[in-house]
Amino acid sequence: MICYKCGCRLSEHDFCTGCGADVALYKRIMFASNRLYNDGLEKASVRDLSGAIISLRQSLKFNKNNIDARNLLGLVYFEMGEAVAALKEWVISDNIRPKKNIAADYIEMIQANQARLSSINETIKKYNQALMYCHQDSADLAIIQLKKVLSNSPKYVRAHQLLALLYINSEEWEKAQRELVRCSHVDTNNTTTMRFQKEVERMLMPEAAPGKGPVKKKGSGNAVRYQSGNEIIIQPANVKEPKGISSLLNLGIGVIIGVAIACFLILPGQIRNVKADTSEELRKVSENLDAKTATIDELGQKVQKLQDENAQLSEEIASYQVNDDTLKATDNLMMAVSAYLANPDDLEAVAAHLEALDEELARDEEDSSKYKTESYMALYNGFVDTVRPRLVEYYYNTGYENYRSRNFEDAIPDLARVYQYDETNVNALFFLGISYYRTEDYDNAKETFAKVIDNFPGTNSASQSKTYLAEINNTEAR
Amino acid sequence: MIDFEEELKKFQFSLEVEDAEEAINSLSREIDMADLLLKMMEKTEKEEKEEE
Repeated sequence: MICYKCGCRLSEHDFCTGCGADVALYKRIMFASNRLYNDGLEKASVRDLSGAIISLRQSLKFNKNNIDARNLLGLVYFEMGEAVAALKEWVISDNIRPKKNIAADYIEMIQANQARLSSINETIKKYNQALMYCHQDSADLAIIQLKKVLSNSPKYVRAHQLLALLYINSEEWEKAQRELVRCSHVDTNNTTTMRFQKEVERMLMPEAAPGKGPVKKKGSGNAVRYQSGNEIIIQPANVKEPKGISSLLNLGIGVIIGVAIACFLILPGQIRNVKADTSEELRKVSENLDAKTATIDELGQKVQKLQDENAQLSEEIASYQVNDDTLKATDNLMMAVSAYLANPDDLEAVAAHLEALDEELARDEEDSSKYKTESYMALYNGFVDTVRPRLVEYYYNTGYENYRSRNFEDAIPDLARVYQYDETNVNALFFLGISYYRTEDYDNAKETFAKVIDNFPGTNSASQSKTYLAEINNTEAR
Repeated sequence: MIDFEEELKKFQFSLEVEDAEEAINSLSREIDMADLLLKMMEKTEKEEKEEE
C-alpha cells in the first residue's frame, strides 16, 4: 500500500513516513476493499457467483483501482455468461494497470478468436430479442430464442432464469425445475434462482417438504401422492372393486355405451360406405345404360339406312324389270329385222316376230311409252313401211284362204292385221266383218261393218255391210 | 406466488459488444470511497490554510 499523497510505501503507522500525511482512514478504506475482495474470492471458489459479484462490487466501491477484485469480477461475469460485462471490467483493469495484468491476457483470449466474439455477440442479441418477446407476450418465440441462446452459452444464468420464469408462467413446472437446477450448477446461491425453485417445488410437491427426495405421504383425501424423480404419482386410496348387482349394472352400462358408440360412430361410417358403393354401382349401371342406348340408336340408324337402301334397290330392280320388257320388245323388233335381212321372202318369220312385238306392246301398253324412244319408233316405222306391202299380201292371202275355207276363227287375226297395215283395203275389212258375224261376235261385226259403210261409201261392200247390219239388228231384236 | 410481470421487470437487457465502449467510459468515471476521502482531505487542508 502506498501513500495517496507522496507515493511512499506505508508502514503500520497511521501516517505516512514519507510525507507525514494522515493515512489512517485511507488505510481502513483499502483494508475494507481487500477484505471484500477476499470475501468475493471465497464465494467464487464455492460457486456462489452472485454473492461474489456483490462482494467484489462493494470492494470496487471502496477502491476502484483494486485490480484483483476487478479482474475476478470480470471472471465471475464471464462464468455466468455475461461476456460483455466481463470485457468491460477487464478493459478498465487494463487501463488502470497496463503492465503485468492478467486482464490483458483475458482480453486477448477473447479478441484473438473472432468467431467466438461474434458468437458471444449473437448470443447476447438473441437473449435481448427473447426478452423483447417476453414483453410482447410472445412466450413461445421467447422460449425458442432462449433455447438457442443456451445451446451457444450453456452457463448463461440470466437466460436459464428467464426460461424458467416462462415455464413457470406456463405452469410447466418440471421444465422450470430443470432450468433452475442448471442455474444452480453454475451459480449455487443465486437469490432469484432459489426463489423460483421454491415456488416450483411448492407447486410440484405441495404437501411434501422440499429437498428431501422421494416422499410418500398419505393425502388427507382419497389419494396417496408421492414423487418419483420429477413425476408425481397419485394413487387412489380405499378403492373397492364393485361386486354383485353393481357389476351387472356396470356391465349393462358398458354394453349400452358400446351400442351407442356403434350407432353414432361406426354405423354412420358403414352407411356412408354402403351409400358410396351403391352410388358407384349406380354410376356404372348408368354408364352401361348410356352405352347400350347409344348402341341401340346406332343400330336403329343402320336399320333405317338398310331399309332405305332396300327400297332403293327394289326401285332399281323394278326399273330393271321394265328394262327387261324393253329388251324383249327391242329383241322382237331386232329379230324381225334380222329375219327379214336374212331372208326377205321368209315373211312368216318376220310376221311372227312382229306379232310377238305387238303382243308385248299391247300387254305393256302403259309402260310402252318408257321405251318407245324416238330412235326405236323410227326403226319400227321404217321397218314396217319397208315390209308393209308384202306383209299385207301375206296376211291377206292367209286370212282370205281361211275365210274361203270357212275357218273364220283363224281368218280374223290375219284380216285384222291386213286392215292394221293397210286401211284402204276394203275387202279385208269387209271379210273381217263377215268373219265376226259368222262367229257371232256381233259387237265387233257391227263395228267393222260401220267402218266399211263410213270409210268406203258407195261401194258394193258398203251396201252389203248395211244388209248384214240389218240382219244383226233383227237377230238381236229377236 | 411469483408474479410474472414483476419478475420480468427485474430482467435487464444485456450489453452488446457495440455498447461496451460507452459503458467502459461511464464506469471509468466512477467515484469510489478513496476518491471521496482524498477530496475531503484536500478540502480540509485548503480550509486549514485559509484559516492560517
